[in-house]
Amino acid sequence: MTRNRELLPIASTAETRRAVWALIRPHRVFALVTMIVLVAGTVIGLIGPPVLGRIVDLVVERQPPEAIVWPVGMLVLIAVGQAALSAVGAALVARLGETVLATLRERVVERALELPLGQVEQAGSGDLIARVGGDVAVIAEAVREVLPTLAHSALTVGLTLVGLVVLDWRFALAGLCAAPIQIYSLCWYLRKSSPLYAAERVAEGERAQQLLDSISGAATVRAFRLSPEHIQRVSHRSQVSVDFALRTTVLRTRFYARLNLAECVGLTAILIVGFFLVRNDSVSIGAATAAALYFHRLFDPIGMLLAVFDRAQEAVAGLARLVGIANLPVPEGSEQSIKPIDTSICVAGVRHSYTPGHDVLRGIDLEVPSGWRVALVGASGAGKTTLAKLIAGIHHPVEGEIRLGGARHDELGPRLTRQTVALITQEVHVFAGPLADDLRLARPDATDDQLIEALDQVGAAAWAFALPNGLDTVVGDGGHRLTASQAQQLALARLVLADPPIVILDEATAEAGSLGARTLEAAAVRAIEGRTALVVAHRLTQATTADHIVVLDDGRVVEVGDHETLVAAGGNYAALWAAWSTKRTLTNSTGKASGLASGRDGRSPRR
Amino acid sequence: MPPLSSGAVIRRTITSQRRDLVLGTVLVMGHQAGEALVPVVVGVIIDQVLGTGQTAKLILWLGVLACLFAMFSYSYRFGARLLERATQHSAHDLRLDLTCRVLDPRGADTQYLPGALLSIATSDVLRVGMMHRTLAAAAAASTALIVGAVALFRISVPLGAFVVLGAPVLLVVVHVLGKSLERRSSAEQAEAASAAGLATDLVSGLRVLKGIGAEASASNRYRRASRESLRATIRAANAEAAFEGATLLLTGAFLALVALVSGRLALAGQISVGDFVAAVGLAQFLLGPMYRFAEVGTTFARSRASAERVAAVLGAPHVVNDGFDRMPATVAGEVRFRDLSHAGLHDVTLDVMPGETVGLVLTDPADAVTLLNCLSRAVDPTCGSIELDGIPLKTLEPDAVHAAILIAAHDADLFEGTFRENVAAAAGDPARVNAALVAAAADQVAATLPDGLDTRLTERGRSLSGGQRQRVALARALAADPPVLVIHDPTTAVDAVTEARIAKGILAMRTGRTSLLITTSPVLLAVCDRVILLDQGRVVAGGSHEDLAGYYSQYRAVVLT
Repeated sequence: MTRNRELLPIASTAETRRAVWALIRPHRVFALVTMIVLVAGTVIGLIGPPVLGRIVDLVVERQPPEAIVWPVGMLVLIAVGQAALSAVGAALVARLGETVLATLRERVVERALELPLGQVEQAGSGDLIARVGGDVAVIAEAVREVLPTLAHSALTVGLTLVGLVVLDWRFALAGLCAAPIQIYSLCWYLRKSSPLYAAERVAEGERAQQLLDSISGAATVRAFRLSPEHIQRVSHRSQVSVDFALRTTVLRTRFYARLNLAECVGLTAILIVGFFLVRNDSVSIGAATAAALYFHRLFDPIGMLLAVFDRAQEAVAGLARLVGIANLPVPEGSEQSIKPIDTSICVAGVRHSYTPGHDVLRGIDLEVPSGWRVALVGASGAGKTTLAKLIAGIHHPVEGEIRLGGARHDELGPRLTRQTVALITQEVHVFAGPLADDLRLARPDATDDQLIEALDQVGAAAWAFALPNGLDTVVGDGGHRLTASQAQQLALARLVLADPPIVILDEATAEAGSLGARTLEAAAVRAIEGRTALVVAHRLTQATTADHIVVLDDGRVVEVGDHETLVAAGGNYAALWAAWSTKRTLTNSTGKASGLASGRDGRSPRR
Repeated sequence: MPPLSSGAVIRRTITSQRRDLVLGTVLVMGHQAGEALVPVVVGVIIDQVLGTGQTAKLILWLGVLACLFAMFSYSYRFGARLLERATQHSAHDLRLDLTCRVLDPRGADTQYLPGALLSIATSDVLRVGMMHRTLAAAAAASTALIVGAVALFRISVPLGAFVVLGAPVLLVVVHVLGKSLERRSSAEQAEAASAAGLATDLVSGLRVLKGIGAEASASNRYRRASRESLRATIRAANAEAAFEGATLLLTGAFLALVALVSGRLALAGQISVGDFVAAVGLAQFLLGPMYRFAEVGTTFARSRASAERVAAVLGAPHVVNDGFDRMPATVAGEVRFRDLSHAGLHDVTLDVMPGETVGLVLTDPADAVTLLNCLSRAVDPTCGSIELDGIPLKTLEPDAVHAAILIAAHDADLFEGTFRENVAAAAGDPARVNAALVAAAADQVAATLPDGLDTRLTERGRSLSGGQRQRVALARALAADPPVLVIHDPTTAVDAVTEARIAKGILAMRTGRTSLLITTSPVLLAVCDRVILLDQGRVVAGGSHEDLAGYYSQYRAVVLT
């Protein structure tokens, strides 16, 4: 629990720009075509007001009613052209944006999955999950909604200015009177809004956390009669988030009021300019009408442009976090990787600490011959989990050496290390989706029969078949809920499918209740059959049947030997065993001792 | 409690905020009317000012325009705030009602999982609150339509009739077109969303994937899902683009027709140039309120669906009834099971004396849960009864039962707060907290944390390991010092050395108080005064742990292997 977390990298603006350009580059011709279509659509739309202005002039010139025919015909053509081009433009923008986004998110997920676990733990997995989930969602939404709005509105605003210049450059100047107010308002709004929105999101997150706390823990809340306190807590969190929602509304309505002011100033300026130009006969009334219509039509696009600006900013920030992950170096699967010669584990003089000066392991030497099952025993905090992680290659020892089948982790390279040694911990995760898909993560090409065989080996076939749709039942988040011990059996079935020669089980049977633990232990024993295994055990029955027991205390190996030898030696292990079994039962059950000696076949002798 | 209808929830929501709602609605109606008048004023200026060249008139009408802007801008500003306040306050009130309902001591018989309840208490209540906005938007859109229609009819009756009758026809066509596209695109959007869920799910299980070296296959699976999602998204986007194009075409054609009709009237000298400009501007402006009006039905339906979900929770029946008996001021702690039958339990008869520590070994874990539920009055047994100091539990208030009998469940949750706050949550006597920490070996856990007892626990203690969580939860139960404490499997994730220490600790803390230990751990059972074995829900043996372990083979099989 380090408080100064080393966060995952965030890309700089320049890096982000380069990365986005690199993503668009392969599609640059497509992007150009898209741009042309969008511009063409907007330009056609801009012909509308001058045509209406032309009708005004026809009226002023007292033309006959038939004169209306061609301007209206033009309006129809404009409608057709604008409709067709904006439909094509919108489709093209979506295709380009979505394709680029898909490439980016795939790269991010790939890198995220390749990250060394040590680095992820350092940064907290929450950061990574937030990037892969939240940031991708924000950007996807931006691509879907903000990007088309931005493209359409920006083009409309820009080209309308051109349209005003064409009518008379003084109209354009008049229209620009609104710009300083808009720019000032936008800067003011963004400055005020981003911290406020961030605080609002934090408040909403805390509210959700509190609700989830109280709702999920309802049974505990009732048992301890904490309801009034929890209702008070929810009320407080909810009130805070309500206050933020109201504050953001105040801010937003003030922003809109400023935009209204800008509209009013701009429209007034155009009408004044029109007034004088018409009086000087510089332009027709129709042209002045067109200018006023142009500007009135800008209200919506400008409003939309400014309204999506903060979302665009948010998306850019998310993009920087995604590019930070996507740009991480690919871990090199070393070319000259050495293959392990057998399945032994050798730990020599290993010392390790997470923070300098606080040694968790203080010089460990350990040999596990191929095919042996070794139990690692010790009180909490003795360093069992750390040793397990070091052997699995998740952390690298500060001092000393670990060899799997004679090769160091760096000689094996990350890929071969993962194929050689598997680590199953008490942390279970059921992957959302069909049960078969979950299992196939371990072996993508497994046949249904192999899946069933693996489930059967860990004693999970019965309940798996009893699921509503068998192996096709959707499990995990949002699907069928599995119990803690079913989830752990699933983890063991994945292990069987992945079929690594060396296995480390770190209290993989701890989360279930005491009766469930027994089922799981039996499953674990079957799953590790035929592999070299290191089992971190808190239930001593797991130790009694092991080939070898290693007792850790305060980062050191204090005892080594099989169950009988250690019990006879009367040391730490004997004390543990006495506490576990209680002296009475040890003397009462004479059958036990003989059963223990035959524990080598890997099966519990008392079943 | 009678079942609650969505109508009742909606009525309560509206009436409780009626002041903000009415005032806010009036203000946004003013806003819409003002916006509708902008093209009219612009038309007047073009007609009466630009042609005549009179500066005074220009200043007058620009003043009118400025006033109009000020009026509708301020109306919107304050109207929107009032409506947001009504929305948020309604959501807040419903959120608290839901929380009270879920945490009611009598229990709530809902089918919802915590995640679903969370979404009801956050997004659904907000959507019910948005009812205020929908109502105001409907009123405002109607205002704009009426003001616009009146203005058009004043210009020319045939023109007004054309726009007022033609626009709804246009809307219906667009709506029908939109519906068929919406059906198609929503299915595709659902497909597109699945890739997003997959990514977070895979990364959440990163440690598991790394443990078995499945990163590459996970990555491949994501790439496939992402590509499928991309195809679906593009299909949906194409459909949406086509819809947008069709809408643009139809509105464009409609406006061209309005220009044709009003232009002919203007050329024939029946309406002025300003009227022509106003008519074209109004026709364009009126489409907005009409679209919004058409959306009212959909948003209202959505609010109603949310109100239904809220009502389902608020109106959920209680699991157990209120009690009528009073609990004596001091509870001795005698617990008697009388022919108790419920679910897997059959005819359980058992007397636990005040101050006794009894171990209960149940061969079926499901029976243990049933027993706990009966003891906490989370359910009332179908047959027989449990009596506390001679009073049947089902005649007592559920809250009074919880005060007398505390269930320390195997999967008890920890809460947001510091380590110490969690342990002291239900402790009447603060002095017991430290003793409880030591007894449950939770002091060792605190010692490993950066801020010791002041360390904040997050996400229901998920930052702790399973064994650490168990010890904190046990310390909390011991600190609460209830007359009767029922502890279920408190040490399944705790190492053997610590477990022995905890067994002694429980004994020390519970001297003179009644305790039931539901467990199969020999270390804990050894410290009990006596142990009862229940097989298939029936009492089959009783005695000391030592005796049972000595002669009862089934007991040995359950406890000692």
